[in-house]
Amino acid sequence: MKQSFTGPLERIDATRWRIPKSYKPGMRVDGIIYADDALIAAIRQDKSPEQVANVATLPGIVKYSLAMPDIHWGYGFCIGGVCATDPAQGGVISPGGVGYDINCGVRLINTNISINDAQPRMEKLVEQLFRTVPCGVGRGGMIKFSTKELRQLMTEGSRYVVNQGYGWDSDIEVTEANGCIADARPDYVSTTALQRGMKQCGTLGSGNHFMEVQYVERIDDPKAASAMGLVEGNVTVMIHSGSRGLGYQVCDDHLKELRDVPRKYGIDLPDKQLVCAPIESPEGSKYLGAMGAAANYAWCNRQIMTYLARQVFSEIFEQPAERLGMHLIYDVAHNIAKMEKYDVDGKMKPLCVHRKGATRAFPPNHPELPDRYKFIGQPVLVPGDMGRASYVLVGQPGSMEHTFGSSCHGAGRRMSRGAAIRASKGRSIRQELLDCGVIARARGRTGLEEEQPDAYKDVMQVVDVLHKAAISRKVAKLKPVGVIKG
Amino acid sequence: MIGELVACGDATSSEICFQGDDPAILLRDYLQELLVLFDRDARMVTSLEVQCFDDSQLKVVIQTNAVDMNRSIFHHEVKAVTYHELDIKPIDDGWEATIILDI
Repeated sequence: MKQSFTGPLERIDATRWRIPKSYKPGMRVDGIIYADDALIAAIRQDKSPEQVANVATLPGIVKYSLAMPDIHWGYGFCIGGVCATDPAQGGVISPGGVGYDINCGVRLINTNISINDAQPRMEKLVEQLFRTVPCGVGRGGMIKFSTKELRQLMTEGSRYVVNQGYGWDSDIEVTEANGCIADARPDYVSTTALQRGMKQCGTLGSGNHFMEVQYVERIDDPKAASAMGLVEGNVTVMIHSGSRGLGYQVCDDHLKELRDVPRKYGIDLPDKQLVCAPIESPEGSKYLGAMGAAANYAWCNRQIMTYLARQVFSEIFEQPAERLGMHLIYDVAHNIAKMEKYDVDGKMKPLCVHRKGATRAFPPNHPELPDRYKFIGQPVLVPGDMGRASYVLVGQPGSMEHTFGSSCHGAGRRMSRGAAIRASKGRSIRQELLDCGVIARARGRTGLEEEQPDAYKDVMQVVDVLHKAAISRKVAKLKPVGVIKG
Repeated sequence: MIGELVACGDATSSEICFQGDDPAILLRDYLQELLVLFDRDARMVTSLEVQCFDDSQLKVVIQTNAVDMNRSIFHHEVKAVTYHELDIKPIDDGWEATIILDI
């Protein structure tokens, strides 16, 4: 299955490679992959560039089919894939360009606790987080929502759970889209999806989802770090999770509904998993509405876990979370499709931007940014692996010009789960992490093995490419010290 | 769910039926239904009888039990049964299916 890509990759400059639209019949635009020389060699080892070329065939696609440096093979779209389609030109919306885990995303919470002060309590802290934050298979959340409450939560987004007492008002404006897609349509979410979602809001999930305790190891941009409240040596908490079973079901329901739709609209697809519909068709609108509802659920999910993290810190450090400075720095989605305006041939046009394993990265002065970030740009949160580092970046003007306001989302896998498990035979990944100063707890049998540091690319390589390309700028490096996984 | 699941409680029987024109998709839909049974209801299939599986229909009578969440060992949570490289083909002594699960 994972054959290498043998098609053309033409160097544009030090950080970009082109797949010309002449490569494959049906390509309407070029493909562009952000990568340096070292990364491109690895990228050629799977078929993800082929997926970039396939996306370039979608009706209404504007300018190019993009991939970020953490590109790897996915379903339909590659992970790290970005494309924008124009509704006025018959542009389509494709669930494969969002992913099964709608609004999988990351949030970063600050503290004013120095790592030196935290270290003596770190083991107790991680254990208590592991006990308190539901993670792993079959672990239900502390709240069971009724159907009516779920519909409300999917309409209002994270504001709904903040109003229930699971957050601070200040959390809302530092959540992408203020934690709510306004055109969400919970009525397009199936009963099965609702049933799956009832007990799962406020749960971490499993796989590569995590809650991580970190500290700020290095600051690269003091002005931007100061705006975010980041202080070198202080502890932070990062949460990576999405829309859980509700989102997966919404995606599956709509993949099923859209099965025969491309044929109805005369759309020829090189890959069944690119199934799509014109954005302005009844089918396209239905998926967009349901996707928005699932996205709002995901923001509520991460908000409730923020509340739980604050509770645990408060218990362990014996002070209210407010006194510990546990403000939300930002929350970003990295699996989503949104209507955003971009300059196309001198005109500002509303486009449907698909980000699948890619993060929004708006530059300074963008109207959607909260006041505190208007002069620095939008925080971009890029988790690495649990042994090395994660990064905080800010969006740059280059993102609006070249990548539809997008940046990378993570390190990108370089080893399959199976290969990672085989590579861990005879080793204790938990002990190896401890030797690196990371206390790790995981529920699943192979959670740590699958997610070991070696299974991922070095996130520094990934962020360096986009820093060099002036898409997003490095602000701070975060070092992990504790992690819980499902 | 991929793992070593332990059943408990009383078994219940039900018939599930899918119709279409592609046996590979019928199989995918069936597996997705089992995924939902686990994730939504914490139930597992303990026995099954395929009553019909052809180009247009898949009908299965399944017996399910609750999953003993304390005694079961979970390896991988399955997010979805995907359509990627979905295929069923006849081989010498039966059929071979290719189905990719998102975990």
